[in-house]
Parts: sequence; structure tokens; C-alpha cells
Amino acid sequence: MMARTGTDIQIAICGSAGDGTIASGDIMKRAAALMGFNVIAFDVYPPEIRGFGKCISRIRISSTQAYSLKHESDILVSLNDAHAIPHVGEVRDFGAVLYDDHLVSSVPEGGHISAHIKPAQIPYGFSIRQISELATNSARSRNIVILGYMAGLFNLPREPFREIIRDKFAKKAQSVIDDNIKAFDAGVHEGQAVFKLDDVEVKRESGDDSNGSEAVMMTGNGAVVRGFMEAGIQSYFGYPITPATSIMERLAVEMPPQGGKFLQTEDEISAIAAAVGAGYTGSRAATATSGPGLALMAEMLGLGVMAEVPLVVVVSQRGGPSTGLPTKTEQSDLNLAVFGGSGDAQRIVLAPTNVEGCYRCAGMAFEIAETYQVPVILLIDLYLSNRYETVFPAEGNAFSPKPRKPLKPAKGKPYKRFELTESSVSPRALPGDAGLMHTVTGLEHNELGRPNDAIHMDMSIKRHEKLKPAVHFPGLTVSKRFGDEGPVRVGILGWGSSFGEILETMYQAQAEGIRCSAMKVVMLSPLPMESLKAFYDDCDEVLVPELNYEGQFAGLVSGALGRPVTRLNRATGTPMVVREILEEVRRLAEGEPSPLRSGNARGARS
Amino acid sequence: MNERVKPVYLEEKLEEIRADGHQEYRSKSLPTWCPGCGYFSMAEGLTVALNRLEIPFKDVVTVSGIGCASRFPFFVSTYGFHTLHGRVLPVATGVKIGNDDLTVIAVGGDGDAFAIGGGHIPHAARRNVDMTYLVFDNGIYGLTKGQTSPTSALGFKTSSTPYENGDVPLNPLMMLLSYGASWVGQAYAGHPHHLADMITQAISHRGFSFLRILSPCVTFDKTNNTYANLNVNVRDLPEDHDTSDLMAAMAQAQHNDHPALGVYFEHDRATLGQVMGATSKRAGGD
Repeated sequence: MMARTGTDIQIAICGSAGDGTIASGDIMKRAAALMGFNVIAFDVYPPEIRGFGKCISRIRISSTQAYSLKHESDILVSLNDAHAIPHVGEVRDFGAVLYDDHLVSSVPEGGHISAHIKPAQIPYGFSIRQISELATNSARSRNIVILGYMAGLFNLPREPFREIIRDKFAKKAQSVIDDNIKAFDAGVHEGQAVFKLDDVEVKRESGDDSNGSEAVMMTGNGAVVRGFMEAGIQSYFGYPITPATSIMERLAVEMPPQGGKFLQTEDEISAIAAAVGAGYTGSRAATATSGPGLALMAEMLGLGVMAEVPLVVVVSQRGGPSTGLPTKTEQSDLNLAVFGGSGDAQRIVLAPTNVEGCYRCAGMAFEIAETYQVPVILLIDLYLSNRYETVFPAEGNAFSPKPRKPLKPAKGKPYKRFELTESSVSPRALPGDAGLMHTVTGLEHNELGRPNDAIHMDMSIKRHEKLKPAVHFPGLTVSKRFGDEGPVRVGILGWGSSFGEILETMYQAQAEGIRCSAMKVVMLSPLPMESLKAFYDDCDEVLVPELNYEGQFAGLVSGALGRPVTRLNRATGTPMVVREILEEVRRLAEGEPSPLRSGNARGARS
Repeated sequence: MNERVKPVYLEEKLEEIRADGHQEYRSKSLPTWCPGCGYFSMAEGLTVALNRLEIPFKDVVTVSGIGCASRFPFFVSTYGFHTLHGRVLPVATGVKIGNDDLTVIAVGGDGDAFAIGGGHIPHAARRNVDMTYLVFDNGIYGLTKGQTSPTSALGFKTSSTPYENGDVPLNPLMMLLSYGASWVGQAYAGHPHHLADMITQAISHRGFSFLRILSPCVTFDKTNNTYANLNVNVRDLPEDHDTSDLMAAMAQAQHNDHPALGVYFEHDRATLGQVMGATSKRAGGD
């Protein structure tokens, strides 16, 4: 049972593109992390680069571990009323709404946010624009004024904000830094003079749940980059695609100083093709893409499986099919990641559930790929790629490559690149090794690597058997169960970014007295069958919430186990909602027949 | 180039092969090509070139796509990677980036290169990846039994153009010259010694070298790119051809009906590996 005694507040800053909404949220979350809070944050912005689309930055700040964003925010800040009005409803009772009450022009009836604030919400109207103009001769610092106002209102330490502001604008003129500090201080001055009416508490708890290393705040994509860099990535090939692009952009900065080879290729096919080529030579090679790119990569992934070449492919999912919803999240590329391509082409698929998981999976992915001589897919999604969480990086060089033992030719015996061994993993020579020349191919081949059809069954067995031990890979969390042990009424089975909401739901269900546990599955291929079976055996009902329409994960597990599950599928482009999962858990706990329950008929692939 | 009239006797040829020692480069797999296929002389040419340049087997990777020509890696005793249809250049680029010490030779046919793989050629060329790309151009799809290819002549009847091909053929040399390839040459399978020389030069070039090899398909093309036709049609580049003159190279490349053999263009500029090295330095690396 999770105690929630300390700080746990969520701030939503809403504005129009150009208002500095995302920048404001960025300073808020970095300052909060500097104060030692756990932070989860997620920005929503329009696909247009310029224009007047809506931007929202949501930041959850907590003194204990949080697993997802909350459906309700404690504070809403409006930098643009037209955009913020629809979000007033997401502020909880006795939460705060901050807005500009000093308008320079008249607004149509109902156009001002104050007309929409509900009776139980606490309005804080102040002259955001005027304070900014007085402090800096410009209205452009409104996004900084509101930060100062919150710091004053909730009595937060000021210096972390100033430090982050100085850092954020370090590359700009000194006057920009000075102006923003002035705007911040003016906001503080205003905020601390206001009589505080809401019940939002921000206080730093004593006690530290870190492992001693310094917490770093990063996005899922940032965590992938950090994991790759610590694992000594040697070559990266990429093609821009939302929401994976920031992985490429970050590696373009970080790899060259380390001697890493970075190349933006002409398309996704060449990106993975070059990664296969580099992986074949023993280079730690990777690429990153989204669903449409993975669809293009499917054939080359099959070559990686057939030629037994290690490489890492990051896939950050977005809404599909086709071009779909490029800036919205979804978990609908599971089938493509696990099964995509021609033939029986099993690969390893890892789907971390949080930013720390992105870091650890990315850090270990190369070693896993090298151990089993197979492509490894790291399957995340936009919600995980772009959300911020505090991460405790590994101590030392946990992910560095181990020195390779050079292979020596055996006298009088030809080298068999694809030798059928007990482990089904064959000794691998690299180009440049003397006396071990061979040809690898996408054709079915014998142990020597020469084209051969008759051996297809034996080689199929080899390519599948060699992956089985991966579910016991040392140090890798393949699946994990949370909550009540032993038999439970409802078990929630989840994967990827939506597991945070599942975990929050489970703690709430437990608080309501429902015997409940939750299990995350990180390795989607091969599936950890033993722990899945044990979990099923313990649960009266199994609920599988996921962010897609077809229930791809539900189909995968129910097909593999031959048992029915209850599916909760959301294809809204937005993260899972705890309340909706909770309603279904309650229904299942009370034994009501669920319309969502299904066997392995639809979408099930075993 | 008088060799077209010089007869070749088996005994004489075998002696020559033994003396050269380049059969060492042959693998134990027997080629799958039809008797008389032009690809035999390219296999021969490459083994001769590697032997001449004294590049150890272990440091050579032949990378290929899919097609008759792409079976090549199985028939030499270097490292080899037989990849996917059309993807030879990006895979070969990855191999070179993965290990800069390797000599990378990309091999493919005209369908693999100019149809499915056409999008990759400009990028390998402009990046100046230090590799050699040998395209065996027979103007037909042989492995799938005789369909039209991007270099098939107008009016050519194949199993996919039974009422004559109506698509204007591509001009590979013009493409590569305009893509920025730093070495462009043409050879003919019917002139094996010249072919071996050209492959040797192509491999010696530092940067992206492209060699088009005109090569008859004796099984599916009885009318067009035959030895009989090509023997008559090919010519040498003019003696005074300036290989540093891009416009002169393009002018020569225009004459696709009477293809000229030789080095069209060569240019020394930074390779992808060198550019990456410079980027690392600029970024503050060693």
C-alpha cells in the first residue's frame, strides 16, 4: 500500500504556440528536480511548427515515486484563455487556476477564463502581462512571471529557478538572462503577497529513495541516448521521424566527440541496412524510428535474423496506421515489432515502461543483441519518448562492452559460421579475422553459410531456440509483479508506457479493498511464459489495458497462453486514464460480466 | 584492344590461371551462372585484381544484393554478405563505417542497382564512401527468367514486355557522373583483360568508384546485348580523353549505342570516413 503523505502536485501550463509554454514547463520541472522532487512531465503541442496551436506542459512533482501523470491537475496556469478554458475541468476541487485578470482588450462573453472556473476551484487572477512589462519592458516574459508567482505562492526556494533560468538562457545575451530573472523576481513578489486559499502543498520530505547516485531528469528518448552512450555505441544510422527524431539529434551531438560514427541516411531502409552492415563487422550499431519507418525496415530486420547479425532498433510508436497521428501516442506497433517481416523471424523485443527502463534497456540492448546474434527492438512510444522523469543512472561502466575473445581457425576443419551447437548460438567470426572467411546470406543456408534448402527445419529450430534463454538475461527485468501476492481477484497485465497508469490504478484499487496485483511484461519476444502462467494462475480475472484499438498485447498473451483476458483498449491518442481502468477493475472484482472480455479470437496470434 | 579477335585455348588459359595464383580467391562453391555468362569474366577480373593488389582475403568484404550477379560473394573466398534486393549500397556503407580497414566491394546487376536500388546510388556517390561498386549490366532480369530491366533497350521483347518495351532506358554513366561519383568507368565482359585492369583501378581509387560492366545474358537475350552485337558496338574512349573533365565524360557517356570502354572520370576528394574523422575533430574528439 502506497502512502501519499508528502507532496504530490500536478501543474498544467496552457498557452498558445509562441507563449513560451513549453519553456516555462521545462524550467518548472528542472527546478523541481533540482529541489529533489521526483518529476514526471509530458508536453502536448500541435504538429505545426508555427501558428497558434495549443501547447500544454503538465508536470507532476512528488516527494515519493509516482508512476504516471494524474488525470486531474492541482494547478492550471493560463497563458491563453481560449486554449485553457477547455482544461479548467481537469483541475481538482480546491485546486488553483492562475490567469491574467488585467486584459488589454475586451473579450466576448464567456471568452475569459474567470467565467469558467468552478465554485470549488480557487481563482488566482493577477496582471501577468503588466508585471512582465514593468519588469522587462516586454510582455514576452509572461511565462517566467507565472513561475515566480507560483514560487511565491507556494513558498518554493527561489534559487533553483534562478539557476535553471541562467542555464537555459546561457547561450543568449546577458540582458536576456537578467530580464528573465527580473520577471521571475517580480512574479515572486506578487505571489508571496497573495493570501493562499487552495490546499495545494509543496514541501520537501526528508528521506531519500535514491541509490546514492545523483538523480538526473530526462525524457525517454534522452534516456535511450544515455544508455546507448554508456554502452559505447559505435555507429548510428537514422532518418528523421516523429517522435524518434530527438534520439538522432542527441546522438549527432554526443557521438562524434567519442569517435562514434553518425550518419543521417536517405531513408529508413538504408538506416537499418547500414546498421546491419556495421553490426556484421562487430560495430555496436543502432537506428531509431517510428511505426511507418519500422514498416519499411521489416525486410531488413528479417535479414538481420537470417544472417544472425546483432543490431538495435528503437521504435517510438505514434498513432497509426499509415501517417496516422504523428504527434499523438499509441501502442499499436506491437504486432509489427514482434511479428513484422516475412517468414518465421523471431527477434528480441523489449518494451520498457518508464524512463529509467528506457535507460537500462538501451544500455543492455547491445550486449543482448551480441549474446544471441539477433536484432533487438526497443519498443517505446511518444508518451514515453517525450515525458520527463527523474532517473538514477547506473554506477560505473555498467553497460560497457566486454572485450571480445578472438576466434581462431581450427586446423583441418572449415569454419562453420552457423554451426549447430548445444546453445544454438554459433561462434561468430568478424571480417578481418584471418582464416575464417565466409559468406552470410538472407538465403536459407547450411552451417557453412552456403545456400541450402534441405536444412531449413534445423536452422529454424536454431534461430528460435537460441533466443529462449533471453528471458533469464542477467540484470534485465523481463517482467515484474506488483501489489498483492498470491491469489488475487483482479490482475492487471500491462506493457510499455501505459503501465504507469496501471500501477496507479492498482494502488487505488488496493486502497478500496480489492485484492489486486499488476504485472508488467518488458520482454515481448520471446515472452516470459513461466511468469505469465504463474500470474494467470493467481488471478481470477485478468485485465489488459493498452493504447490501441485491436488489443495487440492481449492477443499476444492470450494467444500464447490459450486463456481469455478482458481487454481495455483506448485509441484516443492520449495516455491511459486511471479512472477508466479503475472502473473496469471494480466491475471485474464484483463479478459483473464485462462486455470487454474476450478469448483469443480477435487479434490473437500465437 | 585486339583481344576480341584473339582465340583463347583452354590449356593456355589453365596455365595462365595456375601461374597467376589468383584461383586462390575462388571459393569451393561452383558458380550458378549459365555457361557463357558474362559474369564469369567479372569473377575472374575481380580475383585477378585482388591478387594484383595483394589485398589479403581476410580484409575484403564483397557485398551484394539479389540477382544473378549478386550470387558473386559465394564464389570468392573473401568475406561476403549476400543481402537484400536493391540494398547492397547501404549495407556496404555500414560495413565500411563499421570497419574502415576493410576493402569493400559492392556487386550487383542492373535491376538491383537501377530499379529497386536506384534511390541509394546518389547517396553512396555523393558521400564518397570508399568502396567499389561493380554493376554487371545485361539489360535484363535473369534470375527471374527474363523480364525487362531499367537498362533494356526500347522495343526489346521480354516476358514482361511481350509487345515490346516502351520505357526509355536509363543511362547509368550519366547518372553516376551527375551524382558526384569520384570514379566512373565502363568495361565489357567480352574483354576480360581490360575488365581486370579496370577493376584493379576502381579498387585502387580512394573514394566511391563505379564500374559498369556490359555483360551479355546468353540465356534470355538473344537479340540485344549479345557478344556479337557488343563486339561490334563497343569502342575505346578517345586517346586524349581527360578523366578530370566532367563535361567531357558526360559527352562520352551520351553515346550509349556505341559504348566507350575506359575510365570516364576520376576525382580526388574527401571520403565519408575522412569527413566523419573531421567531424569528430570539430566536435572536440581526438
